[in-house]
Order: sequence, then C-alpha cells, then structure tokens
Amino acid sequence: MKGLRVFITGMGVMSPLGSGVREHYDSLKKNRSGIKPLTLFPLSEGNRHPAGEITGFEWDRSVPRTHGLALAAAKEALSGRNIVPDAVIIGTTTGGMALTEELLRKGEKRPDCYRYHSTSSVAEYLAGKLGCPGLIITVTTACSSGSAAIKLALELLRTGGAGRVLAGGADSLCRLTYYGFNSLQLIDPEGARPLDRSRRGMSVAEGSAMLLLEASDTVPDGAVAEVLGGGLSCDAHHPATPHPEGAGARKAMGRALEDAGTEAADIDYINLHGTGTKDNDLAEAAAIHALFGEAVPPLSSIKGGTGHSLAAAGAIEAVVSAMGIRDGFIPGNTGCVEPDPDLRLNPVLETVAKRIGTVLSNSFGFGGNNACLMLGDPAVPRKTRPHGTAAAFEILGGACVTGAGDLARTIAYLREGKKCGGTLPLADISKNLPAREVRRLKRLPRLALALALDARNAAAQDPAAIFFGTAWGPLSETCDFLTKLYESDEQFTSPTDFVGSVHNAPAGQVAIWLKATGANMTATGGDYSFEQSLFAASLAADSGETLLVMGADEHHEGLSPLFDGSVRSASAPADGGGALILNKTDKPAGPSITPLFFENYAAGPGAIASLVRSLGGAGAINETCAAVFAGMPGAEKETCQKQLDEFLKTTGFTGPVIDYRALLGEFGTATAAAAAVAAHFAKEGTVPAALASGTDLQLRGKRLLMVGLGPFVTAVEISA
Amino acid sequence: MMEQLINELKEKIIETLDLIDVTPEDFKEDDPLVGGKLGIDSIDILELAMMIDKEYGIKIDNKELGQKVFSTLRTLAEHIQRNRKG
Repeated sequence: MKGLRVFITGMGVMSPLGSGVREHYDSLKKNRSGIKPLTLFPLSEGNRHPAGEITGFEWDRSVPRTHGLALAAAKEALSGRNIVPDAVIIGTTTGGMALTEELLRKGEKRPDCYRYHSTSSVAEYLAGKLGCPGLIITVTTACSSGSAAIKLALELLRTGGAGRVLAGGADSLCRLTYYGFNSLQLIDPEGARPLDRSRRGMSVAEGSAMLLLEASDTVPDGAVAEVLGGGLSCDAHHPATPHPEGAGARKAMGRALEDAGTEAADIDYINLHGTGTKDNDLAEAAAIHALFGEAVPPLSSIKGGTGHSLAAAGAIEAVVSAMGIRDGFIPGNTGCVEPDPDLRLNPVLETVAKRIGTVLSNSFGFGGNNACLMLGDPAVPRKTRPHGTAAAFEILGGACVTGAGDLARTIAYLREGKKCGGTLPLADISKNLPAREVRRLKRLPRLALALALDARNAAAQDPAAIFFGTAWGPLSETCDFLTKLYESDEQFTSPTDFVGSVHNAPAGQVAIWLKATGANMTATGGDYSFEQSLFAASLAADSGETLLVMGADEHHEGLSPLFDGSVRSASAPADGGGALILNKTDKPAGPSITPLFFENYAAGPGAIASLVRSLGGAGAINETCAAVFAGMPGAEKETCQKQLDEFLKTTGFTGPVIDYRALLGEFGTATAAAAAVAAHFAKEGTVPAALASGTDLQLRGKRLLMVGLGPFVTAVEISA
Repeated sequence: MMEQLINELKEKIIETLDLIDVTPEDFKEDDPLVGGKLGIDSIDILELAMMIDKEYGIKIDNKELGQKVFSTLRTLAEHIQRNRKG
C-alpha cells in the first residue's frame, strides 16, 4: 500500500499569549508571559496564585468556556476554508467542569443545565458545528491529551481511515484543577519558571489549539509542517508523580523518534513538557540525558509564558513548534533566569531566529501517560513508509462486572433469562483487591482494577498497552473533591480526591498494578466510550502487542442521574464494565474483535444506510452475522428504535437482536460488558436460548455484530 | 501534653488516610512517617497537611517544610506544639 505523509495545513491557537497564531508569534518573539493574577473566579484567602488566563475572551455562553475555546481555535485552523474534516480527535481533561462546578455549588437540579458537562461534549460540539460526519474520539490522558490526540489522528490518516482530521486539545480554567494542583503544592506562587533553580511549580492555565491534518503523498499547498511521528508510553509508577529517572518519558521520546524514522542526532529542537514543578523538570532532564547523551539539542519550555493548559498544552506546543519550523525560530524559555544546575541543561532563554527542520515536542501527564510528537519541515523530502490498515484483535481473555457479579455469574444469569443490571456492593467489587493497597481508591478505579485483573487471569497474559473507555470518569472523587472544597469556603480539599478525579486515573492505576509501560490511553466518548477506546487501540497499538481494552462506569447517586439521561430513564441504577485482553494480529487464531464503523447520525440521516453499505450490504450481513447486539441508550430510545427498524428493514435481518442495555443495565460503558459477554459466546460457539428466541443459536463461524445506536452509529464485530 | 497530642495525631492520621488495618499502637513516634510499613506516601502527606491546617490552623504548604515536619510523628507534634495559637 502507498505510504502517506501527514501535514499540518491549518492551525488555530488560544492561550494567555494571545488569540490566534499571529498574536502568539508576537508574544513569543518578545518572551512575553501571560501569567497573571486570576480574575475568572474569586479565589479564597491564602490561595491566590497567578494563573494563565485568557482575559477578554468572549464566547457563546450557551456552552461552557472550554467549548468556546475549542471552537475559536477550530475556526482559525479552518480559516474560512470550506473544509469539513472527516474526523475530530480532541483532548480535554475537564470538559464542561467550569460551568458544572458553579451549577453544583448553586444546587442546580435541572439535568438540562448539565448537558455540556461531559468531556465528550467538546468534540461532539465541534463535530456538530463543523458538520463532521465521521469518527470522533475524545482523548483524556490528563496533561498529554492534546499530543495523544494528534498521535491518534496521525495514525488514522496514515492508515487511510480519513483524509482530513481536526485534532487538538482544549481546557478552560476551573476550580477543580486550580484548587487541585494547589492542594498538591504544585503551584508556583510567583508564576511558573520552568527549569529555573528557584522554580516552585507550575501555573495552571487555559487554552486550546487545533490542527487541520491532511494525508497526502505529495506536499499540499499551505503545509506548515509535517507530522513525522508520535510515541506513547506509561510510567506505570505513580498516579501523580513522574518516574524519577524519567523512564516513561524516555520511552515515549524514543518511540516518537523510531516512529518518525529519525535519529536523536537529527533533532534540531526539543519543546519540553517543562511544567516548572521540581519533579517534572528533573525527570524530563534525566530522560533527555539518557536518550541524547552529550549531544543534547537546543531546548526550551514555553510554559513560563503560557502556563500549563493541561489537555491544550500539547496541541498549543505542536502549533508553536510548527511555527518555529515555518518561521525559523526557537521560542525562549520565558521565566527561567538561572537554569537549575541539577538539570544539567542549557535552555534557550530568549527567542532566537534559527532554521529548525525537526522538532520533538514532549507532553507527560498524570497516570504516567506520556505522549511525544515529532514535527518536521514539509519541504524536506522524506521516505514514505507503508502503514498497514487497522488489524483485527484476537481475544485472549475477557471479564465483566454487572449487577449480577463477574463474567461467570453474568453469563449464568443471562442463560436463565434473568436481568443483570444493578450496582454491585463495593466489597464485592474489591473482593480480590488487597484492602490496604486500594484504601484510597473509590468505586471506578476499583471496578477498573477488578476488571483488569480478572481479564488478565482469564488470558494468563500481561498486557503492555491499556485502552480504557469511560463515559463519566471517577464521579465519586469529583463529587467528594468539590463537596469538601465548597464546605470549607474553598479553604480545604482533598489532594487524594483530585488525583483520583482525573478521568485517566483508573487506567493509570491498572498500569501500575500490571506494570504496563506501553501506550496508556483513556477515551471518554459518552455512550460510545468503549468503541472509541477500541478504535484508539486499533490506531495506537503495535502489531503483535498484547493489550487491554476495557470500559467501565460507576453509578453515583447524586451525579449519574444529573448527567446521564439514560440513567434517569432506567428503572434502577446500574454500573460495571468489561475488559478484554487482546493481541493485535492479521491472523487471529481464535475469536477476534474489530472496530468497523463510527458515524455521526446528527451530521446526516444516512448513517444506517452507510453502515449497511460498509458491512457489505444486506446479503453479506445475513450471510455472515448470527446475531446483533444493539446498544440502545435509554435517553435516545425513540431514535434508536427508528434506527434499528431501518437497519432491519434494509437488511431483512431475521436473527436475534439483543438489546443489551435492557439486560446489563443503563450505564455509559454497558457496551464493554456486552462485548465481554459476546466474546464469551463467540468462544463457546453458541448464543444461549434465552437470548436467541428460545433455542440455542449455533454460531458455526458466523460473527456477532455489536451495533451502537443513538446520536452516533457504531459497529464492532466479534468473530468466532 | 506532648503525649496527648501524639495520641490525638495517631487517631487523626488513621481516620484521614483510611488506614483501615492500622491501630494507634502500630505508630512509633520516631519512625519515619513516609515509606515505612504503614504505607504512607507523598499524596498522603499532602492529605495530612490539609488536615493539620483544618484542625490546628497551621499551614505546611511547601515541600521543603513538609519534608522536615512530616519526618516522624514526633517532629509533626513538635511543629504543631510550637505553632499552635492559644
């Protein structure tokens, strides 16, 4: 197959350094810092530290600030060109939290007010505004989200899954992250001074950056830079502190170089993660020394100017790196006066004019989630490497948790025609977890750990990479953090809850337990979170690699009904999830799972017809599919039924259709539990009579088709 | 006085950190608080700093000071004793 190159052909950026690429150029040239006293919300006495706020930013107030920031950058990236991206892949850590936390404080009980709370709503909002019909992935890997999103976009383009992708990151300032980092004593009261010997921490900031990425075998008009490669890794060390020798950081940098087909000696500039915390800068320096030896290229962190805008940071720094390539400059390490001798680095202190052809840009996050990108001068001829299409995943083992219990109990219930929806007591979820080691973990991370350990035991293999889907993230930690904060008039809160509240914390915990140092990615796509994590795995996992793909959600008494319409529609609360240990391979030796289809139903009514076409038409579907597992979220029941009717009418499919949420419960990642159940049936070669109109359905080599319905239409196949 | 404060702190630490299988007798006043067999780590220390601020009105808001103060149960009690108002 032909080797495609991937180019940045449009960029938009919002940060405390300005609105748009032009203002950033001016600010960077002058080493200006945008860090100043925070005015966006009042701060409590004794906690008033400078932050990176975008003052004077105006947006459509019917959506949260993050959504506004994302749209502003997206508009600039498309700069009035009549382009509809084929896919949108966005990193964000807190989504609509800035609004949600105000509503919660007021005691607002109307669910409609929270409709933009979820992290997935940022990408969905952009896709809606831009009319994007295709794949959407929301990446939530804390402070590396923006870079990780760009890496996924790169792979989607390389494999021919899209021609143009909008990728980037966005996060607005909010109390959760401001007081959270403050509780970790990671904020520098004088403003971030990355790499300086007297640095005391970071400055929490906000921002957004979006890149229009295009695949081409020639250099397209307007190409600013080429995305040469990306590397992902996990520290598997600690929830919030980097590995002291920067082992994970070094691995991600090494993987990015390898992916780009370049050598360390080819790098002209490193854009550092460089947050300004003692530990980050030390770990990053150690990783750089380990990888580059004596020949460390020029390097700098721009976070003394921008502050640390979390999910936006990696995307902003990709834009700045691309500007450096196009305009010939290295941005200065604003805020650093005297480099810390312990780091043994010589940062570029003031912006200098210099031609740079190749940039390595680093992003590291909580959960030890690391993502590094390689960008290059588009004018330099490069070898194109062929990239395979997304392969299948052989299923090595699976697990699920439902109200009935583990996979064996769930299957037993289903055989008897009993419903499994419910919330398992915490003690049951934790029954195989050592009490002392999980004392700080609340419901979602325990669910994730229980699932991961069960799946690992079923497969008798340890995964290297982890892909986790969750619709709502750790709701207990989020609620407890805000409750303590508000009860104390914003004086006190829990650092443990902050670290635990991050959406990728459960996957980070699993990595620590399983010592999984490969890619570690959390996708938060609402009811399609499991599908998104499976797509992410198909893009980012290495061929031959063993990986864990899982999804889980917790039921939270206060927040779940407020946020999730399907929970409100249900007769009883339910939660749980599913996990599969997989091997990425072209030739599965047993049951396999493959993500096939993801379209935005709102962007056009043709999604069902498109699904049927992509599955090979009515004939092929009837010939190869034994049963359909239909994902029909309760909040969208009417739409789902209409879509299902259209599917059945178009295909004439007469096999069993299993409405799995009716059996497993209404929760965002019920799909993950259903996938584990379907994988079990595929292995046995039978769908039990209770689910198959009265007689056991022998699969005889036919596949089970999982179809997700509602605002998005998805398909995943599980083959026997 | 000091003995009483130390005993009080033992209870409060167990409660704050959910040290479910630890009893006050497991604490030795002069053993390192962090990294020992109690399983207390850096995030727990930050949690304790928040508790000390709330309960005794004493701020331990940077890592350098934290390392000194949270060295052992005794150093913590001494710091509170010295800085406690009234």
